[in-house]
Amino acid sequence: MGCSASLPDRNSVRSTGLNNAENGGSPDAKNLRVKLVLLGDSGVGKSCIVLRFVRGQFDPTSKVTVGASFLSQTIALQDSTTVKFEIWDTAGQERYAALAPLYYRGAAVAVIVYDITNPESFTKAQYWVKELQKHGSSDIVMALVGNKADLHENREVPAQDGIEYSENNGMFFIETSAKTADNINQLFEEIAKRLPRPSVS
Amino acid sequence: MSQKKFNFVHNSEQELWRDAYGFALRPQHVQGYREYAGIYKEEEEERSQKWKNFLKHQEEVAQLSSPEEKYKETLLAEAAEFKEEAVSDKNSEGNEGEDSELKTIFPQKGRQGNEADATELKEETVSESGGQVDNAEGALKEEIVIERSRSTEYEGTKDTVSDRGREGDKAEATELKEETLLERGRKGDDSSRKSDSDSSAELNTKKEKLSQETRTHKIQTWAQIRPSLGAIENMMSCRVKKRKVMAGEQITKSGDHLPSIDEARSSGGESDEDIKEKVCVTETSYGSVNASHENISPGDNISTEPYFPWKKELECLVRGGVPKDLRGEVWQAFVGVKARRVQRYYQDLLAQATNASENKEHDNSSGIPRKWKRQIEKDIPRTFPGHPALNEDGRDSLRRLLLAYARHNPSVGYCQAMNFFAGLLLLLMPEENAFWTLVGIIDDYFDGYFTEEMIESQVDQLVFEDLIRERFPRLVNHLEYLGVQVTWIAGPWFLSIFVNILPWESVLRVWDVLLYEGNRVMLFRTALALMELYGPALVTTKDAGDAITLLQSLAGSTFDSSQLVLTACMGYSTVTEARLQELREKHRPSVLVVVEERSKGGQVSNSKGLASKLYSFKHEPEPLIEENKKSEELDDAHVDADMSQMEPSPSDLDQMLSGLTVNSELEGRDPEDQVVWLKVELCSMLEQKRSAVLRADELETALMEMVKQDNRRELSAMIEQLEQEVSDLRQALADKKEQESAMLQVLMKVEQEQKITEDARRIAEQDAAAQRYAVHVLEEKYEKAMASVAQMEKRVVMAESMLEATLQYESGQAKAISSPRLPSSNAHNQGPTVDSPRRKIGLFGLGWRDRNKGKQTNAEDSSDKLSNNQ
Repeated sequence: MGCSASLPDRNSVRSTGLNNAENGGSPDAKNLRVKLVLLGDSGVGKSCIVLRFVRGQFDPTSKVTVGASFLSQTIALQDSTTVKFEIWDTAGQERYAALAPLYYRGAAVAVIVYDITNPESFTKAQYWVKELQKHGSSDIVMALVGNKADLHENREVPAQDGIEYSENNGMFFIETSAKTADNINQLFEEIAKRLPRPSVS
Repeated sequence: MSQKKFNFVHNSEQELWRDAYGFALRPQHVQGYREYAGIYKEEEEERSQKWKNFLKHQEEVAQLSSPEEKYKETLLAEAAEFKEEAVSDKNSEGNEGEDSELKTIFPQKGRQGNEADATELKEETVSESGGQVDNAEGALKEEIVIERSRSTEYEGTKDTVSDRGREGDKAEATELKEETLLERGRKGDDSSRKSDSDSSAELNTKKEKLSQETRTHKIQTWAQIRPSLGAIENMMSCRVKKRKVMAGEQITKSGDHLPSIDEARSSGGESDEDIKEKVCVTETSYGSVNASHENISPGDNISTEPYFPWKKELECLVRGGVPKDLRGEVWQAFVGVKARRVQRYYQDLLAQATNASENKEHDNSSGIPRKWKRQIEKDIPRTFPGHPALNEDGRDSLRRLLLAYARHNPSVGYCQAMNFFAGLLLLLMPEENAFWTLVGIIDDYFDGYFTEEMIESQVDQLVFEDLIRERFPRLVNHLEYLGVQVTWIAGPWFLSIFVNILPWESVLRVWDVLLYEGNRVMLFRTALALMELYGPALVTTKDAGDAITLLQSLAGSTFDSSQLVLTACMGYSTVTEARLQELREKHRPSVLVVVEERSKGGQVSNSKGLASKLYSFKHEPEPLIEENKKSEELDDAHVDADMSQMEPSPSDLDQMLSGLTVNSELEGRDPEDQVVWLKVELCSMLEQKRSAVLRADELETALMEMVKQDNRRELSAMIEQLEQEVSDLRQALADKKEQESAMLQVLMKVEQEQKITEDARRIAEQDAAAQRYAVHVLEEKYEKAMASVAQMEKRVVMAESMLEATLQYESGQAKAISSPRLPSSNAHNQGPTVDSPRRKIGLFGLGWRDRNKGKQTNAEDSSDKLSNNQ
């Protein structure tokens, strides 16, 4: 749980995990700001998903993420609301899980990523779901993402497994490919739609 | 020396998208890098000169301070003393063969002249006691683990070390005894190590070469650093040995007689060096030379005297940056690689790795490293991707290095971030040197940082939060108002030691200082300096995303490495290791509690364990606080804020107690001691949080107002200024236009005039041509006239002569009438063409008339021509 317990948690006083829009900016039903955290095993492509979404790039030889890295991206929805994602991309190695609470605390969205060619990463994803159910905000929006869908010939985790698991845990499921940009924008749009809207008009 | 392997870094300089170290530049930073490339070059030249002078001076001093004779004398004296002790100890240990080995070494020491022989002999002893060495090395790994687990206690034993130093001879003697006991079977190392402090550089390298040759390893991985750095290395080695001495103490105190294998020395020469170093430890850490030290040996003071002026100078040099071509070796010297190194240890680790992969029976024993192995495999291609030096060979090196480290220190194993450190080190030094440097950094400087629980790194984050709150309260409040925790950003900074965070030049400069200082102080100083540099920009941000993005991008463009390092070192000199230790002690318990809860929670995953309670408690503080806030807001807000400003410490007993009473309900429900304790902790934190929130609110509103007002004023001022500028520009533009049109007119006039003059010129030229032609014609006419005049003259002459001839002829005729013979002779004289006098007459008469006729036609011709021409 790391620093979370001992750090004075001012953030959670204001943001109840729903929507950070109250913080610092004008609370606005039309302009949401959302803290999103990416979790998942090392090498499943968390950073690649973010880079594809934010910069539209794909680098097959991306760097190891140490600790966490941050990027933000704003998207416009059809109902003319904009959603600004503040994305925390966390390190995948197991021991960095000790620091993860620092990042998922106060997050409105958690995107849990696994690699469809690696069953172990799917197990790890389930671990993260449990961890968030235990320690995350109660109304956190969770998405389960099977990445590397372009490598379907090496698939080892059937899509059905992902669908079933996410249904059982009240999550949103999608298979993506950061390499081909498949479903990447859909993932974030779908998340945006599922966000609880502030009742403030 | 043999660093060619990784030194083609410099070749890649021509590539535009990579910096001078061969690292990829982010496209948005290429411009910034280019701007600073020149400055870097200048700085580099300057510092390489400075370092050259410094090292030269060091060499001179070293030669003066330890002449070989003196060294030999003290050595012999020490050796004699040492021998006795060693023998007596050995008897008690009952170790045969040891005695004779020691004896063979001492005489060799005496004849220092024949170093090569000595090395050979020692190599022999190594091979003789090969089995011993292996055993010892097997124990080494265990020992290192033990040592590490004790590392936190080392700090506490500083005092005893100082006492020991003052005690003088006795203490040293017992120390030596201990060490010889502990260092059995490591003579091989001494051959290369005993002369470390010796200034005889050539001999040193010669020996190293010899021992290198005698060993037949596949990978030539170890290289000695240049001798001129020996002095620095020795100074830094003190640090290493100081820790080791403390470790030794720990062992003997607890009655544990495990051999401390990383202390690789046992000979007389080594012991002499030890004493010297201990003196240096006490001197450097306590700043005074005790009289007792003079008793130890006459050579000691000479060799340790220059430490003082020297250290300051070195510090300045380090802060100014280490030159590129020295960096690898200087870093090794700083980390004390030579003192850490255990011969064959690295090779054995590698051999172990290959054995394990060959024998599948050993899968169980290598079961834990397998997890790391896979992670390492995943991360190797993701370490500085595309760096020219990390080709297949480079990656193999990196893999070996990381696997060896994982075996060396299973409590750390492999942690992401180490791949970057190892990669960086491999770019600067040979593989084995990089291994020992990495060992120094991870085991020592960052002890407990990259372990499974990452406890120290979490502690450091709390410490940093304290420090930044103290230094930049306004900034922290603003960030928290935006919902940003400083640790989100600083965490990755610390864990990666700024690799991939700052531009490379800055990373290396920070590492220079960090490795020199041998602790994590520089991490904090650098992070604070970054906050100082970029804080003003950060307080203008309006949301969390912008603030974090801004800080990331600003940090990534910190090309002014000198500014950064100097701000860090000068501006935050009060951030010292002692201060950090104090703060760490304060925060460590809370981290440990959480870590423990976490591990327990993992075991009792779904039951209502402590962890879940802790978290449920933790996750519902909002309504509680809101209530508190609302009820107390009116009365206590200001008081609270003031109080918390004065005393924000969470360990404040009163606050804790009041927190306890508030939550007495919870306490009653769960009687377990630990829970109580936890709650106390939590309550105190809640208390702190509440007051801090109130304070933050107040400050934030004030700040935001200020920011807004500031902004408005600034903006309006800016707009005015801009408008002014625009009108100025317009005016200027109009002026310019006017000027332009005037110029155009002038130009047109000039052009017209030019045209006129041109015309005039052309006409004049035509006239001139016509005149020239007329002149020409006239000249021709004149010439013709002159020619005809000349002809006429000729004719006149001819006519005259003819006339004369006719006159003569006539007179002749008149004579001939008187004498008839004459005409025939005359005819004969006239030539064959003149046959008859009739003809002669015709000739003259007609000829003359003809000629006159010809003259007439000529004149006619010329007159025709003239008329034609005209």
